[in-house]
Amino acid sequence: MDINTGLLAIGAGLAVGLAALATGWAQGRIGSAGAGALTEKPELFGSILIMLALPETLVILGFAVAAMIILLLKAGG
Amino acid sequence: MLLPMMKIQIVGSKEKLDATLRAMQRLGSVQIQDVAAHGQAQVLPKLSLDANALQRRDQINPLVARLGSFAAILPPGIKAPELSRAYEAVSLKSTEELVAEAQRVVGEIGPKSQALALRGDELQAEQASLTRYQATLRKVAPLAAEIPRLAGYETAALLIERRSAAVLDLVRQKLSEIIGDNFELSARHVDEQTTAAIVVFPTEQSARVNALFGRENITPLRLPQELAGASLTDTLATMAQRLAEIPRDIARVEDELRQLAASWGSSVTVLRAALSDRSAQMEIVGMAGGTRYTFVLVGWMPRRDLGDLKEALQRQAGLEVLVGEIKVGREEMKQVPVALANLPPVRPFEFLVALVALPRYGALDPTPLMALFMPLFFGLILGDIAHGLLLLLCAVVVLRLCRNQTYRRLAQVMVLCGFWSLLFGFLFGEFLGALGRQLFDLKPLWMERSGATIKSLFAFALALGAAHVLLGFALGIWEALRVKARKVLSERLGKFIALIAVFWLVAVVAGTLPRDLTTPGIATLIVGIALLSIPMGWLGGILGPIETLGLISNVLSYLRLAAIGLSSFYLAEVANRLYGVATNVAVGAIVAGLLHALNLAIGIVSATIQSLRLHYVEFFSKFYESGGAPFRPFKQSGV
Repeated sequence: MDINTGLLAIGAGLAVGLAALATGWAQGRIGSAGAGALTEKPELFGSILIMLALPETLVILGFAVAAMIILLLKAGG
Repeated sequence: MLLPMMKIQIVGSKEKLDATLRAMQRLGSVQIQDVAAHGQAQVLPKLSLDANALQRRDQINPLVARLGSFAAILPPGIKAPELSRAYEAVSLKSTEELVAEAQRVVGEIGPKSQALALRGDELQAEQASLTRYQATLRKVAPLAAEIPRLAGYETAALLIERRSAAVLDLVRQKLSEIIGDNFELSARHVDEQTTAAIVVFPTEQSARVNALFGRENITPLRLPQELAGASLTDTLATMAQRLAEIPRDIARVEDELRQLAASWGSSVTVLRAALSDRSAQMEIVGMAGGTRYTFVLVGWMPRRDLGDLKEALQRQAGLEVLVGEIKVGREEMKQVPVALANLPPVRPFEFLVALVALPRYGALDPTPLMALFMPLFFGLILGDIAHGLLLLLCAVVVLRLCRNQTYRRLAQVMVLCGFWSLLFGFLFGEFLGALGRQLFDLKPLWMERSGATIKSLFAFALALGAAHVLLGFALGIWEALRVKARKVLSERLGKFIALIAVFWLVAVVAGTLPRDLTTPGIATLIVGIALLSIPMGWLGGILGPIETLGLISNVLSYLRLAAIGLSSFYLAEVANRLYGVATNVAVGAIVAGLLHALNLAIGIVSATIQSLRLHYVEFFSKFYESGGAPFRPFKQSGV
């Protein structure tokens, strides 16, 4: 494995890892606010679930980029 | 689908109001609207309860509350069909008769049932308290045995965290300062966390010693009042004896409660339901309008039930009560209550739709589509024969044993999800990850979720996403055409075209479509962006392209169908390999089993959440018009 391949692999890891961190941070903030709101209005469960799930797109996009890099690696290798 | 509703007006002779309300409550198909909200209050005064009725209502409500508290203690001793028959018989009685009977029942069983319930609570509290004391005293007991009992001396037991045991030196020093050498302090580590200490001191110094404990924030062990003064050994023996007696006492109390329930439980349940219904009828009177001789009720009902209502009213109230339809104006359409009426296999999904919000009346009900796609997405994510079978098994067990409607609905959803998981398990050739391939040479019917075919899995997830999103837009366009909302139509049509153009161009870049189609593809994209930008006015030039990017992320979001399934597959592989590397077969099997169980639990939760999320966020946002108020008919409370 040459250094370029290694760097691409690190890039793929960073793409999904950093996106996951961002998602976790956003979900943490939304989750704590949502839990507070739910104690007062349990009927908001569905809406809060949607808001909680919104940042997950970030990690999915990160995953898409990582998958593209890995597929590029395989095609090149 | 949404049940077609109609607004009705019931007009009749005031003498027939009670019979009308009873017939409507029994039928349970009309939601009464306050006549003032209907807009007739200016010309039609509202009815109010007379003095007698008000007095009866004041009697009924406390009786319902008391019967409710008895019902919590005394379960009905008979089965549901018999209970329904008993309710039918009781509901024919007049309100005065019901109140008198309820008062008699409350008088007969009130004191006894409350005393029994209180005794049961006391026994359970005593059991919990003694168990706690016993555990603590057992720690101190060995230490106490070393200290002789002396007349005129008092003993205090202390339990201290072991890491803070140095505080005992301070206590010893302070005690010396207060009472000199006339005391004994003995300490011992009783377990890994606790150090027990016993202090013996003259009784006359009790106040000063206790004041010292208070100042130093040390809490001596306090025994229950009835055991204070006895030696530790005697106390422990008494506690053990009492703890052996308490379960027998509790069983006696429960036995007496069962006997009481067998004699009175059904009466309590039936009377409570009948009185609640009478109370609800009185509330409805306050929503009616009327004149000196007539009453007017306004409400909503499913159109299909109109014939039944007319027949029931004619049977019970005669020809002096008439039902007529009121035309619903465009403004009033927002107030029409919503009732979902889907086919039995689709019905369990109604509550998943209602988790977000009910559809507005007249809008499209997405429940059938959710019943089709949600289990499909779930199965694609979980995609394992073993997981699918286990899920099916659990769902069937819940359906067989559980009567709770929420759990039953969830189980019905999980039957479909389990079926799709099983199907995708065969398509991917997965049985606890790749274990099936190793054990019985299981071959995938379609493709493996690992290795070279992973690209095809991603492509399938994206294609499914594109189809789902485009279907959402198609429904949205149809909705906009139906209500003649031009701006919404332009936006949804633009997005639909732009999304198709994006895929067109991607296909050209990938070489699936010829390069000659690049220019028409770009032109289609521009048309789409232009159409979706029109409702945004001058901002459209900036927001249009951004919205198009959002559409791409909408479709990319469906990659999770492949991504989460992959993580589940690799977690299963970790479990299988751990079993392979374990030196002890039993330990390896336990660890692998636990990991597979964890994988199944995570798989079920995340597959459910992600499938729902794709519907709520990606799919519903394209067409769903929410905001309907649930249909709440005036009906019997039921037994």
